[in-house]
Amino acid sequence: MTAPDLDLLRGTLDLLILKTLSWGPMHGLAVLRWIEDVTGQRLQIEEGALYPALHRMEQRGWLDAEWGYTERNRKAKFYRLTTHGRRQLTAELSKWSRYTEAVGLVLARQGAR
Amino acid sequence: MKRVFWLPLTRRRVADTIDAELRFHLEERIEELVALGMSRDAAAAEARRRLGDLETHRRAMRTIDEEMLNMRRRRDFGDALRRELKQAIRALARTPAFTAMTVLTLAVGLGAATAIFAILDAVVLRPLPYPHGDRLVALSSPVPGIKAAPVWGLARHEMFYFERESRTMEDLGLYNSFSATVMGDGSAYRAEQVASANVTGNLFGILGITPERGRLLTADDNRQRDPSVVLLGHGFWERRFGGDTAIVGRKIDVEGYPMTVVGVLPPNAQLPNYKVDLWMPVYTYPEMEAISNHTYNAIGRLRPGVSVSDAQRELTRLTARFPEVFPSVYPARMMQQVGFTTRVVSLREDVVGDLVTKAIWILFGAVALVLLIAAANVVNLFLVRGESRRLEVTVRGALGASAGDLAWYYLSESLVLAAGASLGAVALAWVGLRALLAAAPSSLPRLDEIHLGWPSVLFAAGCALGAGVVLGVVPLLRTRVDLSLLREGGRGATGSRRRLAVRNVLVVSQMTLALLLLASAGLLIRSLQNLRSVQPGFDPNGVLTLSLSLPNGRYNHDYRLTSAFYEQLAARTRALPGVTAAGFGGELPLESTELCTGAVVDVPGPSGERGDCVQMMQVSPGYFEALRIPLRGHAPDWSETDAGGAGAVVSGAFGNRFWPNAEAIGRGVRCCNVNGPFYRITGVTGSVRTHGLDRAPGQVVYFPMIPFAAHPGIEGMPLYMHLVVRTTPGHELALVPAITRLVNELDPQVPITEIQSMEQLLAKSLARRSFTMMLLATAAGLALLLSAVGIYGVISYVVAQRRGEIGIRMALGARAGEVRGLVVRQSLALAGVGVVIGLAMALVTTRVLGSLLFGVSPTDPLVLTGATLVLVLIAALASYAPARRASRVDPAEVLRGA
Repeated sequence: MTAPDLDLLRGTLDLLILKTLSWGPMHGLAVLRWIEDVTGQRLQIEEGALYPALHRMEQRGWLDAEWGYTERNRKAKFYRLTTHGRRQLTAELSKWSRYTEAVGLVLARQGAR
Repeated sequence: MKRVFWLPLTRRRVADTIDAELRFHLEERIEELVALGMSRDAAAAEARRRLGDLETHRRAMRTIDEEMLNMRRRRDFGDALRRELKQAIRALARTPAFTAMTVLTLAVGLGAATAIFAILDAVVLRPLPYPHGDRLVALSSPVPGIKAAPVWGLARHEMFYFERESRTMEDLGLYNSFSATVMGDGSAYRAEQVASANVTGNLFGILGITPERGRLLTADDNRQRDPSVVLLGHGFWERRFGGDTAIVGRKIDVEGYPMTVVGVLPPNAQLPNYKVDLWMPVYTYPEMEAISNHTYNAIGRLRPGVSVSDAQRELTRLTARFPEVFPSVYPARMMQQVGFTTRVVSLREDVVGDLVTKAIWILFGAVALVLLIAAANVVNLFLVRGESRRLEVTVRGALGASAGDLAWYYLSESLVLAAGASLGAVALAWVGLRALLAAAPSSLPRLDEIHLGWPSVLFAAGCALGAGVVLGVVPLLRTRVDLSLLREGGRGATGSRRRLAVRNVLVVSQMTLALLLLASAGLLIRSLQNLRSVQPGFDPNGVLTLSLSLPNGRYNHDYRLTSAFYEQLAARTRALPGVTAAGFGGELPLESTELCTGAVVDVPGPSGERGDCVQMMQVSPGYFEALRIPLRGHAPDWSETDAGGAGAVVSGAFGNRFWPNAEAIGRGVRCCNVNGPFYRITGVTGSVRTHGLDRAPGQVVYFPMIPFAAHPGIEGMPLYMHLVVRTTPGHELALVPAITRLVNELDPQVPITEIQSMEQLLAKSLARRSFTMMLLATAAGLALLLSAVGIYGVISYVVAQRRGEIGIRMALGARAGEVRGLVVRQSLALAGVGVVIGLAMALVTTRVLGSLLFGVSPTDPLVLTGATLVLVLIAALASYAPARRASRVDPAEVLRGA
């Protein structure tokens, strides 16, 4: 098991989950695997923290949860993005890009000195 | 994704699902790691490590899920409620006649009940408006052995004794009430007679009264033999002194004595049912010698948790020790002879009185019956509606609606109706209560506390809710899903006989209750008629009366001065245009509250025994003429009175008692006791109802205003007298300005109060009874109306049901009249059964009216017959329209099967 490269920034977990689920309904572990696969395991998430996040997002109405069967016929709780969640994703994405842009600007200036 | 069947979440199952979700995660992860080549144990450890602090996460999830669950439940419930209500309102809007009828009927019944409940609550149920009002008690001393005055007040030494010895009472205070004259200032203010009270200083603490300005009266004030301090009531302070903030410390003139104002009380400070303008100290102190002056009202406050009967037991015990503690006042023999005890009752009971409490409960019972009758009508309406909806309900049932769904369906509808009805009821009660209060006799205790407050609104809402639930359940009792109905095309005949039986029972009970109310109202109406036909013994038509009180300081010492005032006022009043007679009397007929005072007559036998229980009153010349009290013999005129040698006049009842077979004129009578002044009886009046129309004629001695010359001062000065003036009927009150002017000319410091015509006084003496009668008659009227509607409904239904049968009868030759008779007879049969049961019940229950009745037995055959006839007539009338409808059935149409 390789050591994590990056700790997850606060508040970005929601964004990652929303984005991941935008590909289709998944159970919690699948969400984790997806993020691990896409990032090449560079992003380390405390796995346990994922679940309260999922539940909170369900409470806020961004996600719908439903029990279903996995391909291997095991019962699992699947999460699906709601319309509300999709809107939230768009909003979070634009916020994120403005944020990184601003941070990037600062960092670029410092780099020039 | 294949879905899993999952039960809806409950609080318990929240934890299970969280565990299942995490377990899935762990198991999958472990398998994944094992697949990567880890040992199972290492994989398990690694999976767990990656999950982090599992307990914290689990707890966080649980909190979130529970919140979510609660939110969802609330939302679901709200949605369901909204849906049900919307559906109910829509269904009700589709049948506006049913909805309006139901709401109106319930609102009328409930409104009447609510209005009377407001009175019941304010007057009877609620404690008096004092802090710890429920712990206040009134003390008195029954002396059954003394017929003249069977209940005494408390004496001052008793207060100190009980205060010292009692463990059940925290405190005990005394007061007595009287009216005092506050003198005019010679310019803007006329002399005024105001409600006053002498109180012990601790009474304020007992009643929770604190001063608005200045200070209260204290035990030190009570020690002063001649009171020099006074507290003002708020209203009087504003009325008389314009709310002068510098009033404390000023002197005011009370009956010629200067009194220093030491404080002003807040607006709500008052004695039980008595608004006091002037508060003065009772003269008393703990070391005071015990004297038998049992004239004070006593209010005690019980310790927390002590009941009235506890206090009663203790005070009975303490009173039994009186012969040892106060041997000079209460010799053991005297205690036994008169049966002296001390009685404790709750202050509320004492203020309101048994009779009023009983009358209000009776009225409440009456409106409760009206409400039941109204409810019976509504149940009937629901039954009819249920019938017309049987098909609909059957379809719903067939489509899978559960019993619970149907219950909701009905309940939401009846609750919507009940809510509408309770709104209507509160509105009606508000209007009704205003009308009631406008008509209420001013003597009704706690009158100004009556209003439509929260308790009444809650009462209406509670009754409505109850009615709503019951009405919601009624149709359920008979909604068995009966699929055969679908085959019959909705016209099921099965069970209609049983339904009709239910409705017949309802109508019969309505008739029963209506008869009870009608009989009760009838009995009260008869009582009032009887009272009105009682000969009062005087002619009230065209008499003005007003009360004068001569200030104590000026008139107390000189008979000549006092007599001159009255004589001149009488002479000048007689000279006014339209006036034919004028005189003064210590009391007015019908109004006497005073029990008897001893007078001694010169008949053989022990004089003490002969002397008890007659009434004494001072009158001036002109009194009998002004009231047109018939007089045989001679009443003294002014010159005889002035000379001090006038004789006495006695009432017929007095004469008959003492000289049943002989002439009273020429006999003698002594005032007050065996050594009192002697008067020759010169005249005998007719019988006068001195204490009220419902009481026996008074046994009265009318003494002249100036006593026998040899015994000056023995009767006390006539400072408080009623002027009676005979004038043209209808113009009594027009005399008031002229008479006020005359009084002012003679002495501007003499206040005038209680201005009224004798007709008004007569009406006032009947006010409580006519008020009760009016309310009961209104209740009976409502009951009659509602029962008529009820019987109309049922007969209409029967006619509709029997249309086919009627058609066949007519085809076979029955005439329209016969058909009408058939229908009306059915209605009369129902009424008949109701009336018979009602009569049986009336024979038992009208006895509760007891003391409200006068001159009529609770089972008066005339009243019961009358009530029966009215009900039968109403039943006949109510069935007439359905009967006509029946007689117009077209046989051809029926036979064709339409």
